[in-house]
Amino acid sequence: MEKKGGLLEWLDKRLAVNALWRIMMSEYYLPKNINFLWSFGVLTMLVFAILVISGIFLLMYYKPDAKLAFDSVNKTIMMDVAFGWVFRHTHAVAASIMFLVLYIHMARGLYYGSYKAPREVVWITGFLLFVLMSATAFTGYLLPWGQMSYWAAQTITTLFEKIPFIGPDLVIWIRGNYIVADATLTRFFALHVVFLPLLLIFVTAVHLYAVRIVGSNNEDGIPMTKEEKKVKGIPFWPVFMAKEYFVMSVFLLFFFYLVFFNYNFAMDPINFQPADYLQTPMHIYPEWYFLAYYEVLRGFFFSQNLGLIAFVASMFIILFMPWLDRSPIVSGKHRPLYKIAFWIFIFDFIFLTILGKLPPTGLYAWLGLAGSIVFFLFFAALPIISKIEKSQVEKAGR
Amino acid sequence: MKELKILAVIVVLVLIGYWGIEPLAHSIMHKHIEEAIKKYNLPDFKFSDLDPIPSGLQGNPQAGKEAVKTFCISCHSVKKEGINAPMPPQAAAQSFGVVPPDLSNIGGILDEKYLFNFLKNPQKATENPKFAMPALGLSDQQAIDIVAYLKSIAKKNMSGKEVVEEGCVRCHSIKYQKIQALSPPDTMKKYLGKVPPDLSVIYKAKGEEYLHAFINKPQAILPGTGMPRVGLDKEAQEKAIAYLEEIADPHKEQRTKVGIIVLAYLLVMVGLTYAWKRKIWKNLH
Amino acid sequence: MADDKMSRRDFLLYAMGGWAAIGAAGVLYAMYKTWEPLPEVKAQATTKFDLSKVKPGQLKVVSWRGKPVFVLHKTPDMKKCEDRTVAGEYTVVLGICTHLGCIPNWEADKKIWHCPCHGGEYDACGRNIFGPPPRPLDIPPFKLEGKTIIIGEEGPEYKKLMEKA
Repeated sequence: MEKKGGLLEWLDKRLAVNALWRIMMSEYYLPKNINFLWSFGVLTMLVFAILVISGIFLLMYYKPDAKLAFDSVNKTIMMDVAFGWVFRHTHAVAASIMFLVLYIHMARGLYYGSYKAPREVVWITGFLLFVLMSATAFTGYLLPWGQMSYWAAQTITTLFEKIPFIGPDLVIWIRGNYIVADATLTRFFALHVVFLPLLLIFVTAVHLYAVRIVGSNNEDGIPMTKEEKKVKGIPFWPVFMAKEYFVMSVFLLFFFYLVFFNYNFAMDPINFQPADYLQTPMHIYPEWYFLAYYEVLRGFFFSQNLGLIAFVASMFIILFMPWLDRSPIVSGKHRPLYKIAFWIFIFDFIFLTILGKLPPTGLYAWLGLAGSIVFFLFFAALPIISKIEKSQVEKAGR
Repeated sequence: MKELKILAVIVVLVLIGYWGIEPLAHSIMHKHIEEAIKKYNLPDFKFSDLDPIPSGLQGNPQAGKEAVKTFCISCHSVKKEGINAPMPPQAAAQSFGVVPPDLSNIGGILDEKYLFNFLKNPQKATENPKFAMPALGLSDQQAIDIVAYLKSIAKKNMSGKEVVEEGCVRCHSIKYQKIQALSPPDTMKKYLGKVPPDLSVIYKAKGEEYLHAFINKPQAILPGTGMPRVGLDKEAQEKAIAYLEEIADPHKEQRTKVGIIVLAYLLVMVGLTYAWKRKIWKNLH
Repeated sequence: MADDKMSRRDFLLYAMGGWAAIGAAGVLYAMYKTWEPLPEVKAQATTKFDLSKVKPGQLKVVSWRGKPVFVLHKTPDMKKCEDRTVAGEYTVVLGICTHLGCIPNWEADKKIWHCPCHGGEYDACGRNIFGPPPRPLDIPPFKLEGKTIIIGEEGPEYKKLMEKA
């Protein structure tokens, strides 16, 4: 890259590509004490690229029209287009796996305290990316126009009805009809293929830029000075990426195993029935990555309004991590109390995810309530844990 | 090694989640179906709930032919024998809700015991009280004669597609195969309460186990459904479902082939990238 | 020693890059295939037409692959041309002017095709007789099965015509 002369030099004079390369890649130093969990950021980029590429090819045959959508997906793309089925399976599995990778990426940040100063902007942009990705997944899920697509959109848009004063009108405005209909499909399509991806790309750029300014966190949460980095750190390129290639290959092996041999989890059977606005399927549920929030919504089964508030809070509360957790110790590795809370939270999240798909009756309803309360207790406990740890640090300091 | 430990934790957590949202949720939500399958031992090709054919009863195709002429052809055609339908299909659908089937090949797909019971009491055999064909008051001998006759004229070794066209297409369309249901949708809606679903990708929507049980005994799986028990014998039903799978998932073979190539490719990639990583990281301080 | 290390590193790098290129080629191939015409389009590659439906002196336009094919049943008073006649008495030509791709009109009184775009003219055999067209109207590949013509398939009669021309 540092070669003199030729195209690179010509470009460098005009675009400063060498400087850009150094800042973003070859002189972006990562600490050595990080494990492969730090690879998941790059994995989200990889999955995003897969989604964009497979999406472009689906776009060439998909028809955003309530009368044509189902057949354009299930007949034209799945049966007629050569390798169309590869692109659809890839897109569906990638959408699902994106959230697995995102959740692991976020959990790593939670565990090692990557949201703490000075990385708040990284955390906020990351949260924004999560919200945008959720919106992209939700709008995209309507496009095949199957029964599950339709009723997921119908129920989730109905949630807006509960907003005081403007709710009922807002729902009609969002749908462009009294029910989810052709207008809804077309506008969701526009959001899914143009607007949201553009926003995602923009926020991703800010996210990556921010992490290069403040530097990557590490297992011990101890910041390195610039000099230390050059001596002890590893450059993103080529050293960190060398490991990344290996992680990516293993990931792709797993990913394409799912695409070719175990794609059913991402393609709900109910969605192979065309949307019917007069008949709700016996069981409806969101895709797995929304189940935990969905369960919080249902968890407060005695009060719909409380459930709704809890639902919105459960999605957004994680944004406030940097301010809820004021402990001077960064990494969970050195915080026994936080560690316990973290693992309770993780298991609670999985617990809620599982409950979210089960019928909300009898014991399941009460378990859902308990799980939802534990979910919020984690965040409520953070200021207390911070306080205890602060006094411990002060004591040790003296 | 630390990295492997972390990987193990992730794998375990993912597997717990997967088990919860797939097998566990499935077993709870589809409990009634699994219970019905167990209760009636579905698919039950012995049709255990129906009366057995009285022992010693022998069917005579010749006598059956005469009985068909007496009892059946006021509604049904037998094109193979040169007997045409008494009224055009549209008019028949208007009065009965569905187009009465042509009897040429029907004997080739239906179980003998079922057909015998059906002729004696259609509503009971189909488990559908609204079933359009009335009981004809046949004697056991007449019924078994008709069975013998229909079996004797029917085409042997029908393909899966032929079975489906014979057994399902009177009510169901298969849009992606350009097959239109014989009965018009509006009369069926009046007769059955709703237009029967299209079968193009029904295999993906319902799965093999469900289809086997449902076709065999619809009321056990979906109480109150307008779908009558059709009474396909084992061979016909297996062929029909194999056909439904083939049309719903036409690229199955290609998928397996391409999948193996892709995985083999990536396996080599894993090896190469691992060697590269070791090479680069070996020289680190 | 140092050189040795470098070469092994280079080899690995090339192997990795080469292998990745193979994968990229595979993906590109799948992408390439998705742009091929769909089966329903390919099914329209041939058009069957019954020549006996065209009465003497009459012109019929058949659609083949979305393009017009002129089928003219010739009468004795029209221009003769052994090497451009199908089944003894028909002119079968692609109705696209060889100049710039407009569709010529049949003028029954003059027994010629006249192109509205730049005034090119063709006789009843489809030969260019006036104006800018550089060559006669093209004869589409065809196959004869009795009086039925299958446009889009190369039969022996078509090959014979091509040899003569």
